[in-house]
Amino acid sequence: MSTYVERFPAEAKVIRSAFYVSFVSLAIGALMGLLQTLHRTGVVEVFGEPGTYYTVLTTHGVFLVIAFTIWFLVGVFVWAVTTSLDRGVENLRLTWGWYGLMSFGTALAGIAILAGFVDDWPVVGDISADVLFTFYAPLQAHPMFYLGLAIFIVGTWIAGADWFRSWWVWKQENPGERIPLPTFMVLTTMLMWYIATLGVAVAVLAFLLPWSLGLLETVNPLLTRTLFWFFGHPVVYFWLMPAYMMWYLLLPKISGGRLFSDPLARVVFILFLILSVPTGIHHQYLDPGISEGFKFIAMTNTMFLLLPSLLTAFTVVASMEHGARQRGGEGRFGWLKALPWGNPTFTGMALAGLMFAAGGFSGMINAGMNINYLVHNSFWVPGHFHLTVGTAVALTFMAATYWFLPQLTGRKLFSRPLALVQVVLWFVGMTFMSNAMHRAGLLGIPRRTAEPWYDGFEFEAGVGSVGELNIQIALGGTLLTLSVAIFLVVVIGTALNGKSSEIGANAIPEPLSGPEDSPLVLDNLKLWTVIAIVLVVLAYTLPLASIIDRGGLLGPGGRAFPMSLDTLVVLAQLATEGALSR
Amino acid sequence: MALEEPQQKRQLGHDEFDPVGTLALIGLYFLVLVAMWLFMYFVEFLGNDPTVVGSLVTGGVV
Ligand code: HEM
Ligand SMILES: [Cu+2]
Repeated sequence: MSTYVERFPAEAKVIRSAFYVSFVSLAIGALMGLLQTLHRTGVVEVFGEPGTYYTVLTTHGVFLVIAFTIWFLVGVFVWAVTTSLDRGVENLRLTWGWYGLMSFGTALAGIAILAGFVDDWPVVGDISADVLFTFYAPLQAHPMFYLGLAIFIVGTWIAGADWFRSWWVWKQENPGERIPLPTFMVLTTMLMWYIATLGVAVAVLAFLLPWSLGLLETVNPLLTRTLFWFFGHPVVYFWLMPAYMMWYLLLPKISGGRLFSDPLARVVFILFLILSVPTGIHHQYLDPGISEGFKFIAMTNTMFLLLPSLLTAFTVVASMEHGARQRGGEGRFGWLKALPWGNPTFTGMALAGLMFAAGGFSGMINAGMNINYLVHNSFWVPGHFHLTVGTAVALTFMAATYWFLPQLTGRKLFSRPLALVQVVLWFVGMTFMSNAMHRAGLLGIPRRTAEPWYDGFEFEAGVGSVGELNIQIALGGTLLTLSVAIFLVVVIGTALNGKSSEIGANAIPEPLSGPEDSPLVLDNLKLWTVIAIVLVVLAYTLPLASIIDRGGLLGPGGRAFPMSLDTLVVLAQLATEGALSR
Repeated sequence: MALEEPQQKRQLGHDEFDPVGTLALIGLYFLVLVAMWLFMYFVEFLGNDPTVVGSLVTGGVV
């Protein structure tokens, strides 16, 4: 048995390259996170002008939840498909092709955002994209931002096609065999992604891009918001499903056990495929213009969506327990002591899972139509998703990196103790930051606000004080940033480390209950895709029809903010001047 | 140094393995959830601040 890089050197290079883009994005995003926490808690006044806060917040959101996560997961997916089918990619050029497209898209969107830090650029004028990662109208970005986003997404589509193609060729050579579980997870996730990204593709290509180019006067904000959330909820599962994949594939192995059940894992991924999209309206409980009935349907679908996460909790914990008992663990709770807590990959993922369980609670609050009013757009919400995407996903990815890097480079992990400190520090920092954010939200402190203090009004805390909450948030944010810094040290140290021959094999143990126990229908991807599409049509046709009916395709009008068309005007001027002077 | 360390003392097959520990942990999580829900009742209805429901109940006075 060999390491990944010995078996697939060319693919290992692709994955490494994707990971490095991901880590650079993480570094930039984390730095912005620190500035936000310090400024908005009043601990350090970082920005003279509050407007800069939104450039920072957009950078934080986009670089972390679009770039860091997606770049990491495409790397993981290449690993999963090639490992489980035991074959390299079909055409390395195509693979580098989508890598290139995604890079180009990232660069365009990233530059548009970062350019917002400077008011006026020579020649091109004002470029900015302070639209936050939700890019709602009437906030308007420079066309380069939307274009970059579109190109990035097309890159992921081609990546998906690459994996489907691998599977297709493998299938011709292995007729009648079950889809190996890791590949199955990749394919179901990508099917979900294809459906989900249709919403954002329409929003960007049909409305936002032409609007920012000045081709459209106005857009219908509610329509583009709804199309955003059509994508914005399932994108959550696009982050989460690869994290679950790591929990299903790596955790049992590292715990010294085997995955409890292959059929259950398949069921979970199918449930995500069919239920992820028809729930997006749960982010719009407070949007006027969507009737309560549609919101209720979205809430019902959301509650069903808890099921696959609870199934995951069971399967993953049972697999860990299996490992612990094989390692000699005893008793109802005593087996927990037999788990490999000294291993940063294990500990990171286990802590990520624990935080996710807490996030499950605040998620249930968010999901309830009535109780959502209590927390909507308050600081509670970032408190919630720093547990989910910010920890369950981010910490799992960082922990997985400690297993992947040696596999992908053939080099020894730089420092295991440092890695262990890093994951624990993240857990501690997030406990402070997230818990205090939740509490601050309950007091009504808003999110997305540079300076949440007002003349003649003070937030009152029933327990503790606002000052105490702010200190916890600033402390937590600082520990988290420190944790990212340590992570980067370990990554760079590993990349520069010597080659080692003691890296374990790139193998995934057989599940206790294998694919032979799962009904064949689970592998019928066509069937599940059709069901997924039907559910989406049921959930979205009427709401979209009524939004368009009421507001019109291009909306009732209104002004965009900010007016970022300067560039085009300047470019047009330059072009005409150039033409005239010739 | 290999990152995985099975150190297995025994092999447990599908039939010998009974995940009682998992049941215990999930049961515990369920209890925590219920307790948190009960606690939420106090946050939502008995807090001092006006919330959407609170202000309705008190006729917008508080
Ligand atoms: C160094 C660690 C981090 C710190 C200190 C931090 C801090 C913050 C703070 C204070 C906010 C709220 C700002 C506001 O609403 O005014 C925020 C928002 C956000 N964070 Fe983080 N965060 C960190 C890591 C992460 C990670 C790892 C992710 C995801 C992978 C993430 C995703 C987000 C998102 C999506 C938002 C919302 C942006 C918006 O409202 O548009 N953060 N972060
Ligand atoms: Cu959602």
